[in-house]
Amino acid sequence: MRPARIASSAAFLFFIFVVQEAAISRINFPIAGYSLYIAVLMGLLAMEDRSAAVMIGFFGGVILDLSPSIDAPFGQWAFVMTIMGYIFAANRESIGDFSTRPAALVLFVSLGATVSLLIFLSIGALLGESDGNFQRILTTSLGNGLWTLLFSPIILPLLSRFRHLSLTSRERK
Amino acid sequence: MAQGGNNRSRLLLVILLVTSLFLITLDLRGVSLTQSSRSATQSFLAPIQRVASSAFSPVSHFFSDIKNFGKTKAQLKDVQSANAKLRAQVILDKNTQGQLLQLKSALNLAGRGGYKVVAARVIGRGSVSTFTQTITIDAGSSDGITKDMTVISGAGLVGVVKSVTSNSAIVLLMSDPSFRVGVRIARTQSAGVLLGQGDSSYTMQLLDPAGTIKVGDVLVSLGSENNRPFVPGIPIGRVTSVDHTSASLTQQATVIGLTNLSNLEIVSVIIKPATADPRDGLVPTPIPTVTVYVTPAPVVLPSGSPTGLPSPTPSPSQVKK
Repeated sequence: MRPARIASSAAFLFFIFVVQEAAISRINFPIAGYSLYIAVLMGLLAMEDRSAAVMIGFFGGVILDLSPSIDAPFGQWAFVMTIMGYIFAANRESIGDFSTRPAALVLFVSLGATVSLLIFLSIGALLGESDGNFQRILTTSLGNGLWTLLFSPIILPLLSRFRHLSLTSRERK
Repeated sequence: MAQGGNNRSRLLLVILLVTSLFLITLDLRGVSLTQSSRSATQSFLAPIQRVASSAFSPVSHFFSDIKNFGKTKAQLKDVQSANAKLRAQVILDKNTQGQLLQLKSALNLAGRGGYKVVAARVIGRGSVSTFTQTITIDAGSSDGITKDMTVISGAGLVGVVKSVTSNSAIVLLMSDPSFRVGVRIARTQSAGVLLGQGDSSYTMQLLDPAGTIKVGDVLVSLGSENNRPFVPGIPIGRVTSVDHTSASLTQQATVIGLTNLSNLEIVSVIIKPATADPRDGLVPTPIPTVTVYVTPAPVVLPSGSPTGLPSPTPSPSQVKK
């Protein structure tokens, strides 16, 4: 885990965050909205080792906490994404390398996007936040998971290429 | 070696989780650092959103347009003939015309209510990750907008200003589950509370146990103290069904909002309320149905004799509203 890679990943995530807030959020997706940011973050987490995944998860969550329209306390997404980073890395070690199994990676990322939203809501409920009725929560979480499933085959190869560029020659071996 | 790596990552996990909890605690205790970081992000994003809004405006309704394709296909023939006539008349861009229509409609409502408003363009929407239903508008404190101001469209209430920067503001939409507004039934003047449900339908709880709600009743805002956050008299919605459950103490009704929040382009922020409460003056009135009665005129033969119809006297067409 190099600090430069964490910094480059954080900068990349911030760029995706700006794209999400400025453009993707404007599109009225059927069923529920789509978060490109969460999909990209899940993709990065799935490709990193345990320490790097935890760090990227934390910084990715902090960036998500900066969203001006969010109504949750600052740090809630950081908490969720740190947990997701650890869960992702721990499971990836048991599943193996995703580079040879792209379908498994797509499923893993989509499931992760849905689970992260549900964990966020659960923590929000513990903190006394109201996020609507059960049906809406389920629709939003599953709808986002569905869109992530559909768009991930396009996004993940690009993400994999970005990650490859951010690795040193020694790390590539 | 691997054990050492695992221990290190676990330690890192604990440190970062504690840091996150520390940040949450700071925020819940009202430390301004966390709030100002979001305001700074909003100030940074607003110009980008403004540019992206212009670029993405035609494609933002892409999916809903696809969904309605089947319905519109049947009308394609009519539209094609009308299009030939309209093409010559089109001067402005279709998108701009739509925005102009929304602006006219919003200003019309504000004018009838006597409100002083600031018109603003919608430049962003709350992301799915925020779980809140918000829009970002391109007007802020430099235009006189402050927190807790009422936001309206041409049809009625849109929401309330949640936060403001110098050049943009975030509006909490009335469909958000945390949204609550005091309402009054225009017909009976009974007061109640309207709750956002996350979509275009709302739940209204009547405060008066003896009051009555009927399907079709129009609700207007009750108004808040010092007109913050809600000015009185703004049309909100129409009752679609009434829950007559005897178990609850108060009556409940399902309400459909008058404003379509999914395709907002232009809104108005009320920066100065009317001097007098407009009461029910802004309640939308149904458009009268026009019925046309036509009495057939007798056909006159070239020789000038009538065709044998009972009444040879031609009567003018009557138009009754």
